[in-house]
Amino acid sequence: MRSRKPLSTTVISEVDQPVVEDLHGAKELAPAEDARAAIRVRDLVKQYRNGTEANRGIDLEVRRGELVSILGPNGAGKTTFLRQITTELRPTSGSVEIFGMDGIAAPQQAKRAMGITPQEAGVFETLKVREHLELFGRFKGLTKRAARLSTTKIIHELDLDAEANKRVGDLSGGQRRRILIGLALLGNPPLLVLDEPTTGLDPVSRRAVWNVIQRRVAEGCTVLLSTHYIEEAERLSDRIGIISAGKMIAIGTLDELLALLRKSYRLSYRELLDETQVCYFATFAEAQRYVAEQRIAEYSLARASLEDVYFELTGHRFEDEQAEESVLCPA
Amino acid sequence: MPSLRDTISVFRIHLARLRAEGGPFLLAALVFPTAMYLFANAIRGDAAEEQNRFRFLAGSIVFSLSLTAISWLGYLLLENRFAGRLKLFATLPLAPSSYVFGILIFGVAQSILGSSALLIVARLLGARTQLGVLPLTATILLTMLCLSGISVIIATRARSFSEGSLLTDSLGAGLVFLAPVYYSPEAMPPALRMVSEWLPTARAAHAVQAALAGNYATKDLAILGAMAIVSLSLGFKLMRFREN
Repeated sequence: MRSRKPLSTTVISEVDQPVVEDLHGAKELAPAEDARAAIRVRDLVKQYRNGTEANRGIDLEVRRGELVSILGPNGAGKTTFLRQITTELRPTSGSVEIFGMDGIAAPQQAKRAMGITPQEAGVFETLKVREHLELFGRFKGLTKRAARLSTTKIIHELDLDAEANKRVGDLSGGQRRRILIGLALLGNPPLLVLDEPTTGLDPVSRRAVWNVIQRRVAEGCTVLLSTHYIEEAERLSDRIGIISAGKMIAIGTLDELLALLRKSYRLSYRELLDETQVCYFATFAEAQRYVAEQRIAEYSLARASLEDVYFELTGHRFEDEQAEESVLCPA
Repeated sequence: MPSLRDTISVFRIHLARLRAEGGPFLLAALVFPTAMYLFANAIRGDAAEEQNRFRFLAGSIVFSLSLTAISWLGYLLLENRFAGRLKLFATLPLAPSSYVFGILIFGVAQSILGSSALLIVARLLGARTQLGVLPLTATILLTMLCLSGISVIIATRARSFSEGSLLTDSLGAGLVFLAPVYYSPEAMPPALRMVSEWLPTARAAHAVQAALAGNYATKDLAILGAMAIVSLSLGFKLMRFREN
């Protein structure tokens, strides 16, 4: 077993942790069919000049029409990975193919097939929303009319109708983020690469963006996205890849990832003013027995979630969703 | 290869900037050079010869071009890079040369606006010229290309926004005052005189002065053209959308 990071100062016993059957190396649970690959990445390595190895031999195939989410703790190498796929960053070694095109040798050609939302990018504040989208539509080879039509559709989809004629500089951070997503959608590209597309959005806007993404996937678009939100990955993805320390440590459907846990029932409870206790059990009955033995009055018992898999694989919890401290119980 | 459609779109994106911030631009491109023209004339006194007036006006036009090409365009390029807008362009199937050309056209348009306004002000202040429109246009174009190349180089190499803007601000004014633009070359130390004669602003001032008399300064224009090729080639080489 690899070393684990404790959640708090409480000593955690190995046997109390959810057990993952195969933690080592990228485990592709549902290999994609080569001929249908929208993205094919082989042995991708990125080493920066200061010696930091951000990606260490990542393989990935994304089928056409599939939505794959990439999860990973901060600094795991998610953005570096996506930036190499979008041709923004030159890999140290390995290969990237976009619909069979060599993304390293022919970046312009590969970018024609992609709509990209970078994690951090600035918008042009002096332009009006409609103007911004229409002008960027022209860069994607759309005629003036097509750019106008595409812009109108996107503005409506992203619920920006009321802001269409406002200057981008007058909009909120969330609205600007939606413009960045809109820029990626222009021209209906067959592949969307979205780096944390809903970061900074309120829950309503986030759901609106999810709907847009799901609609595009239903129309046959392929999507690769990175996210900080477990719920986003669970709700949207056909498959989920987990990156840790520059390596893809697991990839598969949600069910396949959950099946990696041998102890797949999660019991959480709190005793008076203590921290929240978390225990994992192989069966529901075993969990109920523990509750009875310990005479726990208030508890929550549920199937383990992607978050539990994620924690087990990476040793990290999602910071933004884990405000409350918890410890593993000695069950 | 740059595409005309992409170049025009880049130009239009930046034109919106001028629409929103035309006032400060005019302040930089017009008020400072006009003030310098008046100041130089005042220092020389009423007996200032016609030739000196031409030199001061030429100097002020070059000052305006330098502020537009290096200070203002440089600021814009730096802002695009450090505010993440360049990253947005990098997501598109857009050649870096289209981006640079779009910015250059924007710069040339601004410089024509600034120089025309300056000529009108000079006329109102009593300056009489035998302006050659074509020689002046050629001079403005070559000067802008040469100085904009310097901006591109600074914007691609600067390690931070503040470092870059310090450089563009210093060079925007410094290249004008280090060249014998508002004073005669004889007033300079001999060693500096040799160097300053080869500054693009010195060549531009000669060429503008000739254009104000209706003539072409062929040698200066040729040198400016060569300098523009060197600075822009280097700028294009350094401008990359893909990082290593």
